[in-house]
Amino acid sequence: MSFVGIIFTAVFVNNVVLYQLLGLCPLFAAAGSRRSALGLGLAVSLVLALTAPAVWALQHLVLVPLRLAYLQTLAFVLLIAGIFQLVRLAGLVLARLAPAAHRALGVHLPLAAVNCVVLGSCLLLVPGLSSAGRSAIAGLSAGAGFLIASVVLASIQARLRSEWVPEAMRGLPITLVSAALMALGFLAFDRVLLAKLFG
Amino acid sequence: MREGAFFRGLARENPLLVYLLGLCPALAVSDLVSKALGLGAGVILVLLAAVAAARLLRPVIPERLQPLVWLVLVAALVSLVDLAMQAWLPALRQQLGVYLQLLAVNCLILGLVERLARRRSLSRCLRLAAGQGAGFTLALLLIALVREVLGSGTITLFPFGSFGGVIRIPGLSLHPARAVSLAAGALLVLGYLVALAGRLKAGRRRAEQRSAG
Amino acid sequence: MRSGGAFALEQFPAPHLHEGTTTAGMMFSVVLCLLPAGLWGVLLFGPRALYVLAVSVGTSLLTELAVSGLFLRRFTLGDGSALLTGLLLGYSLPPAVPLFIPAVASFFAIAVIKLTFGGLGRNWMNPALGARVFVMFSWTGPMTRWAAPLAAADALSGATPLGLVKEALAHPVHGVRGPIELLLAGLHPAGLKAGFFPDLLQRLGRLTPAGYGQLALGTMAGCIGEGSAFLLALGSVYLFVKKIIAWEIPAAYLGSFSLLAWAFGGLPFGTGLFRGDVAFHLLSGGLALGALYMAADPVTSPLRRPGRILFGLGCGGLTFLLRTWGSQPEGVALAVILMNMLVPLLNRIGARPAAEVKK
Repeated sequence: MSFVGIIFTAVFVNNVVLYQLLGLCPLFAAAGSRRSALGLGLAVSLVLALTAPAVWALQHLVLVPLRLAYLQTLAFVLLIAGIFQLVRLAGLVLARLAPAAHRALGVHLPLAAVNCVVLGSCLLLVPGLSSAGRSAIAGLSAGAGFLIASVVLASIQARLRSEWVPEAMRGLPITLVSAALMALGFLAFDRVLLAKLFG
Repeated sequence: MREGAFFRGLARENPLLVYLLGLCPALAVSDLVSKALGLGAGVILVLLAAVAAARLLRPVIPERLQPLVWLVLVAALVSLVDLAMQAWLPALRQQLGVYLQLLAVNCLILGLVERLARRRSLSRCLRLAAGQGAGFTLALLLIALVREVLGSGTITLFPFGSFGGVIRIPGLSLHPARAVSLAAGALLVLGYLVALAGRLKAGRRRAEQRSAG
Repeated sequence: MRSGGAFALEQFPAPHLHEGTTTAGMMFSVVLCLLPAGLWGVLLFGPRALYVLAVSVGTSLLTELAVSGLFLRRFTLGDGSALLTGLLLGYSLPPAVPLFIPAVASFFAIAVIKLTFGGLGRNWMNPALGARVFVMFSWTGPMTRWAAPLAAADALSGATPLGLVKEALAHPVHGVRGPIELLLAGLHPAGLKAGFFPDLLQRLGRLTPAGYGQLALGTMAGCIGEGSAFLLALGSVYLFVKKIIAWEIPAAYLGSFSLLAWAFGGLPFGTGLFRGDVAFHLLSGGLALGALYMAADPVTSPLRRPGRILFGLGCGGLTFLLRTWGSQPEGVALAVILMNMLVPLLNRIGARPAAEVKK
């Protein structure tokens, strides 16, 4: 698939949140404000852009050739945890050098790294891709899809006033229903559209 | 009425509907009842084994390394369950896909392992874990029932003897609302169930306050 | 929750409405302007269409009454919005659709898309369009079964004009330079009923350019209220004059769509750029209904002009994209609800802190 096709698929057709139903816990945590949604989305994108190629290399250069595919879960988790440690260190460095950026982005890095979005995206994307470079693009795009869903959801939630919403639906339920309606809209993006647009 | 350690996890402290833990794999596998049961069973197995192992290992592992060790432990157990399923229930394993592997980073499992490793009584730990696992499975089953009945007009269980495994609901199976089987349906059903659970909880709290005051 | 009794009649004037116009008055005006198109649809498709409309409107009123009364403790039927939603929803359904579909769609529109968020003025997605999408993906088969208007027997024709074109384009087309040619070639009109009205229509059809006339009159398969773009446009004039609809959205929507249709509409036919058949696209499908009545719903569209124009542009662009390259023949509903999602973000454009709606 072309690069554009990979990006379109990861962002819209197989949107991490609205199609794969991953990353719901951090998403709903961040839906409280647009800023935190943006920060979280950027953090997830960054982590995925780093993790996906590494995981690809692990899968296609180590596990498969050495017939260790059954270790996939364990190996992926360890690698992701390792990258998480690196990212955390980078966050500490960032906090020293650029406190503002750290506040916007770095605060979310721990939450972003160790959650189902990263592992899930890696497990879904990596086996089918043919190079580490494409994996990086796919990972970044998946993160972008998460970011878009996250920011749009947060902006919708900001529009609602808590005194308007029926009591039983306040908080998480109404957020879930909003996400459900968003998912309905995203059904517009399917493989047929992908195929016709990008061949 | 004293609630046992096991039963707490089923209703009052249901991990999925009340505390909203372990959402991620839950929604994605809730379109078929058999998948929900399969994942639920996986959760219970991994949870029990992980809690027991963590409790045994805790004295010998330095505090700072514990989170990492629990992570590896759970991932290893998930891999074992994965392999077992590939061997004995390959069709189910195929359907569950990556969502089974995602149990390795499931917040319910990891959180519980972290918490319960500190407790002293092994039997109590296991009962709490079993309760949470059962509660999770029950909630997941509920979601799956609604989604599958409305979305496909069937209830898919496991083939047993001459029973093919699929129960068809007359009427609905002719014209099911397919959108309910999609992601949108999952989010919608969960949203209303969480609202319902919240309503019940608030109602019970009001009843308790009234009887107390 | 307003004090003053559990069942207080309430109105929700949104801040951007004209002074002196009540919400109910507005709603009923829109309903009146829509009636000609609906009447036309019933004339074309027969009593079947009437049943669909009746079920759609009836269910939406009932749902509003029951759910609003039980869960929100308010009686809101008086504001006319449920009536309007039910009508718009019915208009966007095929006439041959099994009656449980308008019922479920209406229920979904009112209970889920509107009341779950608190009722009138508080929903962010257009209820009629959201419900249409839900029902489209839930029961795709029944939703794509079309009846030819005024057919002698209860004949089911194959597809709508847009559907025909999309299907035909799935295979390589040779020598056909535009959708109207495809249409005329692919149409197999079932014998029309005898009678004054069909005869009149045939005569009118012959007066106008072949194909376009039929599209404009709505004598092709389609949804109940979508047939006559002309009648819809006529009704909307009143609404523009009375400033009930903001003109920016339909203008931007239709303008951008026309431009794109002109520029790129010829591509699937191999005739190159700037050869698109704009008139075909404007007259077919739910574009007139969507652009004039649904996209401009003040509750689910931006508050200020810059946002509105962008909203309209987005709707036009997405509609064209989905119609041309999407899997469904029609793209209006999906386009508008996708833009509905972006409205809160669009509202931030040009907003000054003092002008923000106070919490």
